[in-house]
Amino acid sequence: MTIAAGPVGGGRRLRPARWLEPLLPIAAVAAMLGAWQWSGRYLNPILISTPTEVGRDLVELVARGVILEPLAESLEEMVVGGLAGIAAGIAIGVVMGRYQVVEKVLSPFVNFFNATPLVVIIPLVIIWVGISQKARLLFVFLIVLWPVLLNTLAGIRNVSRGYVDLGAAFGLTEAQMLWKVSLPAAVPYILAGARVAAGLAIIGMIVSEMEISLTGLGYLLITYGNSFLTGRLLAVVLVASLFGVGNVLLLRWVQAAFFPWIIGSAADQR
Amino acid sequence: MDRGDRRGPPLRRQDVLDIEGVSHVYETRHRRVEALREVSLSIREGEFMSFVGPSGCGKTTLLRIIDGLTAQSAGRVVFRGVELTGARRDMGFVFQDINLLPWRNVRQNVEIGLEARRLPAAERRQRAIEALRMVDLEDVAEVPPYTLSGGMQQRVGVARALAIDPQVLLMDEPFGHLDNFTRETLQIEIARLWAKLGTTVVFVTHDVDEAIFLSDRIALFRGRPGRLTRVIDVDLPRPRWEFNVRAHPRAIEMREAIIEYLGVRADGQG
Repeated sequence: MTIAAGPVGGGRRLRPARWLEPLLPIAAVAAMLGAWQWSGRYLNPILISTPTEVGRDLVELVARGVILEPLAESLEEMVVGGLAGIAAGIAIGVVMGRYQVVEKVLSPFVNFFNATPLVVIIPLVIIWVGISQKARLLFVFLIVLWPVLLNTLAGIRNVSRGYVDLGAAFGLTEAQMLWKVSLPAAVPYILAGARVAAGLAIIGMIVSEMEISLTGLGYLLITYGNSFLTGRLLAVVLVASLFGVGNVLLLRWVQAAFFPWIIGSAADQR
Repeated sequence: MDRGDRRGPPLRRQDVLDIEGVSHVYETRHRRVEALREVSLSIREGEFMSFVGPSGCGKTTLLRIIDGLTAQSAGRVVFRGVELTGARRDMGFVFQDINLLPWRNVRQNVEIGLEARRLPAAERRQRAIEALRMVDLEDVAEVPPYTLSGGMQQRVGVARALAIDPQVLLMDEPFGHLDNFTRETLQIEIARLWAKLGTTVVFVTHDVDEAIFLSDRIALFRGRPGRLTRVIDVDLPRPRWEFNVRAHPRAIEMREAIIEYLGVRADGQG
């Protein structure tokens, strides 16, 4: 029996020619759009429409201002609910990280909520605050809270042994240790939590607009779907995915602008 | 070769640190490791004392016990007649892993011990710059630490310890991760600093040449559990950067004796 002596898994992969490398993704998307467009000749447009039709509908939605108000509503929900959730997640995570008693008391509840698919609490949210924007904000808040909280807590708990020694050797108090060492050291974890939260905030926003009260982009999706206006429906889908792209870019900018040391120090450790 | 006689050199100085029968046992869930057994030693005011021995002989553990980073299982550490408990704010500690905080610039890193003492910002800044000047790094005060070379980073580590104006400077294999050339440069720099400041230094290393070059006395540790079995006076003239210490017949004799005593070969030294 022979066992391969070469690199196993993740060693070598087939690589395209250097000049081809940047072109491949572009070509793939172009091919997909072409195939999609071509399929329009044979398929009922209600099924998946065509790129040109989606493009035309998108321009029209924007030009006639139909999409502006729902867009603003959705954006507000995502930003306000999301930011509140992130802030609360960091705050509760810090308190749990600082006081073990609090951690012990809260952790069963935190784990419970984190494990629960939170759409199930929508009826409860409606019972609490009624069918209103408040309910939608609360839902986005609740869905965003847990990943940020857990990541913040993990970051604070996993402060390196070296930093703990540093704090002890130079006589930092517990509070100084938290604010000056543990919390900054937890920032990469918190940002990872925020990335997860950003994705969840969009889901929370759309779901609450569909399930709690028909407004925003969720309203448009349901309306166009029910009317078989597939072109418009997909135009709204495109806008929703731009929310995701926007969030990723925003978080990347936040890291580069305020926490440049994350990349710098990681490169240093290599 | 000198006896392990602690009555010491003609220059009679007072003891600052008395280590009396210190033992330490690390207890983990899986095993129990006796790291140090009944170590006694007196360190004199203004002396450069090195702890030398192979890895795992307890020398770093003893240094940590002196600084209060690790609580000894038995015995006492007495500093100027007062028994020590808990972390020491008036001792400066230099870590092998340096432990600079990447989100702070060089100067802010040096200020950390001064923040623990709640000095006003202007005074902190002034003392940090002064400390950086001592290690010739005031030019990079406002730069992130990860942009510096390993040798410069460790000089920041030294400046951070000097900034608190320490009664005793504790150094835990500070040059262990550095290349030979950088290490020799820093050895000379430390020798000059010590000659100028006259601070009591306790220096842990497994590099015999380094210990001979720097020290007034060398405490030899061996075995598991580690015991301090011998103390050697390094009766070489100073300043030692003015001649080739390694080629000095007395130094050669001392090195051979130490290496033979510790039961390791010269080329086995890392």
